[in-house]
Amino acid sequence: MDVEARRRFEDLALPHLKSLYQFALRVTGTAGTAEDLVQETFLKAIEQFPTLRDPARFKAWLFRILSRLAIDRRRGEARQVPVQVTEDIDRFSLYDLIWEEDPLPYSDHLHEDFLARFRDEEVRAALLALPEAYLVPLLLVYLEGMKYRELAEILDLPMGTVMSRLHRGRKILERQLWECAKQRGLVKTWKKPSD
Amino acid sequence: MEKAERLSCSDAVRQFFAYLDGALAGDPLEALEEHLEACLDCCQKLDFSRTLDAYVKGRLKEEPLPEGIEERIRRRIEDKEGTER
Repeated sequence: MDVEARRRFEDLALPHLKSLYQFALRVTGTAGTAEDLVQETFLKAIEQFPTLRDPARFKAWLFRILSRLAIDRRRGEARQVPVQVTEDIDRFSLYDLIWEEDPLPYSDHLHEDFLARFRDEEVRAALLALPEAYLVPLLLVYLEGMKYRELAEILDLPMGTVMSRLHRGRKILERQLWECAKQRGLVKTWKKPSD
Repeated sequence: MEKAERLSCSDAVRQFFAYLDGALAGDPLEALEEHLEACLDCCQKLDFSRTLDAYVKGRLKEEPLPEGIEERIRRRIEDKEGTER
């Protein structure tokens, strides 16, 4: 690639550095790994730049590359405790559990006050525990406000799958928060059914 | 009210996030909105889903870029292009 083409690539790509980095940070959890992932994305992107057909969709194209690299990287990592995803997760309701448990009996805003008791890093850890198939689309919605059609294109998935992953991803997140609340003792009287 | 009657609470809940993400349109949107008009419990659950989404998003505040990252990327691109020429 000649210098002019390289400059054109950099002019198009570098303005998206901040967004790409924020996504990479939330998908990997650490600044160093996030930077690695972003660098890898730029290298892959410049390699494929001559084949890019629609420069108007440049940002979506970069996120497509980054998402794939992120998914591959996470799949290659052995997580300490892999999150179990079963069919019944779709019916999980943090709202109902908070209501039934009533951990803050004097609160006028029970659900909001319950959420306020988590530390920021606990919420981010709960999110990071999501399997990549759910985490990636959810982060693209949370951070980039992407529409389902764009997600389907970026992730090569049918719309119905995008929809169910975004539902299930949030349900897994609700369950992770509930588990965190139990471990933190925010939910004091809750007992496992087997106890 | 026909569509609202057809949509059960569990079906309604399954559509909440698509609704919040602005991905519902046409009949499914109409059916959900009609259900919500008639079901206070689902309205409260939807409110919680909206609150939770905003709450989680609020925990993902923008972090500063690592110092020198842009320069390192430029250098890697230059190196890559240099070795491939």
